[in-house]
Amino acid sequence: MQQRGGSIQRMFRALDGHGGWLVGLLLIAGYLMLPSIGLAAEGSAKGPTEYRDIPYIGSRNLIWIVAQLHLLLAGFVLGVPIFAWLCEVVGWKGGEKRYDKLAKEFTKLLTSSYATTALFGGILLFLLVAFYPKLMNYLTDIFFPSFLVYCLLFLLETATLYLYWYGWDAMQDGGKKTFHVFLGFLLNVFAFFIMIVPNSWATFQASPVVIAEGTDIQRAWAATWNPTWWPVNIHRLIANVVLGGYICGAYAGIRYLSAKNPEERDHYDWMGYVGNFIGVFGLLPLPFAGYWLMREIYQYNQQMGITLMGGFLSWLFILQAMLIGVLFLGSNYYFWLGITYRIPGAEMKYRKPMLWMLIILLLCLGVWMTPHSLVASLEEARKMGGTHHPLLGVFGVMSAKMTVANLMILVTFMSFVMYWRAGKVETAGWAKLARAVMGAVLVLASIAVIVLGVWGYFVPAIIRINYFSTSQVLIVLFVMLAITPLTALLLKSARTTTEMVWGRMPPRAGYALVLNATMVILLMTLMGYARSSSRVHWHVYGVMRDSSPYAFSPALGSAAVLMALCTFSFCMLVAFIFWVATMGDKAKAGHGGSAKGELPHGIPAMAGGAPHQHRQG
Amino acid sequence: MSEVAQLQLIGLSIVGSGILILLFIKSQFVRVTGFVAIVLGLFALTALSVPQMASLPPAEEKFDIATVKTPTDLAAIGQKIFFSKGQCALCHSIGPSESARCPDLKGIGAKLSREFIFESLTQPQAYVYLDYRHEGLPKEYPARMPYINKDPIGLSKNEILSVIAFLQQMSGEPISVSPSELDVPGQAPAAPVKATESAPLAVAQAQ
Repeated sequence: MQQRGGSIQRMFRALDGHGGWLVGLLLIAGYLMLPSIGLAAEGSAKGPTEYRDIPYIGSRNLIWIVAQLHLLLAGFVLGVPIFAWLCEVVGWKGGEKRYDKLAKEFTKLLTSSYATTALFGGILLFLLVAFYPKLMNYLTDIFFPSFLVYCLLFLLETATLYLYWYGWDAMQDGGKKTFHVFLGFLLNVFAFFIMIVPNSWATFQASPVVIAEGTDIQRAWAATWNPTWWPVNIHRLIANVVLGGYICGAYAGIRYLSAKNPEERDHYDWMGYVGNFIGVFGLLPLPFAGYWLMREIYQYNQQMGITLMGGFLSWLFILQAMLIGVLFLGSNYYFWLGITYRIPGAEMKYRKPMLWMLIILLLCLGVWMTPHSLVASLEEARKMGGTHHPLLGVFGVMSAKMTVANLMILVTFMSFVMYWRAGKVETAGWAKLARAVMGAVLVLASIAVIVLGVWGYFVPAIIRINYFSTSQVLIVLFVMLAITPLTALLLKSARTTTEMVWGRMPPRAGYALVLNATMVILLMTLMGYARSSSRVHWHVYGVMRDSSPYAFSPALGSAAVLMALCTFSFCMLVAFIFWVATMGDKAKAGHGGSAKGELPHGIPAMAGGAPHQHRQG
Repeated sequence: MSEVAQLQLIGLSIVGSGILILLFIKSQFVRVTGFVAIVLGLFALTALSVPQMASLPPAEEKFDIATVKTPTDLAAIGQKIFFSKGQCALCHSIGPSESARCPDLKGIGAKLSREFIFESLTQPQAYVYLDYRHEGLPKEYPARMPYINKDPIGLSKNEILSVIAFLQQMSGEPISVSPSELDVPGQAPAAPVKATESAPLAVAQAQ
């Protein structure tokens, strides 16, 4: 006991410093908890402890919740710098100060959310070491060199974040601003590496490739460069941008709903627009990254691919389709509301296209959500002539799903272009030709995507996967890469007929933004469950078997309840972080007696005061 | 009340609470919280309404040699392994099937010798064509038969012989595997296992 007390004192001394008390308390709680957890340890008589458990909640569920919250916070912490840096660059290059202020507003959140993420990372590490000592020992043996790299990256990231945040006002002009933008870039580079190092540990568990010989570094490197590492890296990078964008949107949505004056409404309406835009910007290529990941999984191990897409997890992909469908609908709906309320006069012009887009999106969602095979009674199956419905069964296969996913991306892209062009008249001499070319590209691409989809039914799966689906993806990417610069060129010389009016959106726009963020978070929790469950009863697939009582994947229903719990907890955590980060600003604004009062570091209370200049009526 | 029913009740309560909040509370933050609760509750209810399938780890089949008296006993064990630990039915069917991704094994015991089947299971890339429906040049992503004697499936020699006995039996062939060929725990193997590869457990094959 005395020895334990001495250790605690040493821990206190080691953690002496700003903010260390919180981590210290956590360390002590974990340290004191270990012996009691040990009471539930298994296999102590036969050899080293392999697992520990805790009553009621169970070790696996606790790890699940903490790991999920840590991952979501990490996604937020890595997504926000991308979002903030993009805004800063737009403000720097375009000269619009409101973007710089928005970037700063979000960077301020980073300091508190960074600490919270690290806190959950610490809790997760303690719990993993306590509950899964055998697995952690095995992983440490392989990945020890990358643990050190991870620590170093954290130091670099922290130092860069301090410089980036505290140097914001001091580095506003000339070369200093360039350096500040470079710091933001550096922050994102370190953040990217902080993401991909632990990704290697998680992906190794799913697709292990171990070289038993060689130095520690060689073994770690071989294990790191496993088949699903890069697909997961790219998928998570894009997903983090989406998360950052939509959370910004949700924050703006809530502030918009509770805005007390027109300036606040203007500002948060604009912020919601920016958040939704960045979210959609990331959302469009995300399915392609997901497709690449699934393809690599199939290539690595067909059984794992089948478990995911055709085995007990197949219904999960119907839920995923539902969530993505709602996300696409929510994002488009927000664009359509923007056209209707922010651009007076545009509603009549775009009402019909919007209606058609809605119909296409709903039809596509219906197809995407059609299950491959139905759970039917023997009599029902006999009537249908098998487990596949004679008509709907055609829509349940990948060929149909890939086609509608691509069509939904195209529709969303066109919503964005429509919003972009609304309220402007192109004056360039070649405008008519450009519009005709864009229309032709869109129509031909849609036809090509549908033809390839239908043709996919008549060729072997491998030809469809390798050539047809890839071609569909490339066609949609081509459309986006062709139409975006063409529209930008076209609008450069365009005449604005109707100025954008901010602060007029109905309350349901705020709720749409909250809905989108909730969908993204739910999707992340759902796919986390899928990734983990695809390993079935293995800690490290095919290498280390899970022999704990929790070596099973729970059914979707009970898993969904945990996912909902994690999503709700994360939302509350983020709300808390936002509240804490803006508490000082509100107090200052209150002392100033006006919502327009100056905030610390010279930020006007309403970052992006520009919108109200365009306010009409 | 079943676990699913309990969870459905919780989901419904959450949705109901969210609706009540939206109806009666004016604070915007609380209203948004209620809205999120409704969304999450509906998500959970949807997930609870689809077929509930848990993925259980395969039962550790105790291969009790003492219970194996005849080749038919062996085939009965093989049948269990075929549909459980061996995961054969994940890709193969016995008889024509729409969902089968790999060759139909009906009558395979009559078409192939037991040595060839053994080799196909333990050295699948030796003779088994990578993608049985494919013609022409080799493909980038062929359908690959896994090594059955290695992880993640990892059948023992006795288990593989049982599966062969089952395949022969269901093809209407006389079972050529004799119980005397089985390895008895604690004793040296009766004969070297033909065409079996041993590999360190920790080494997974890179693609």
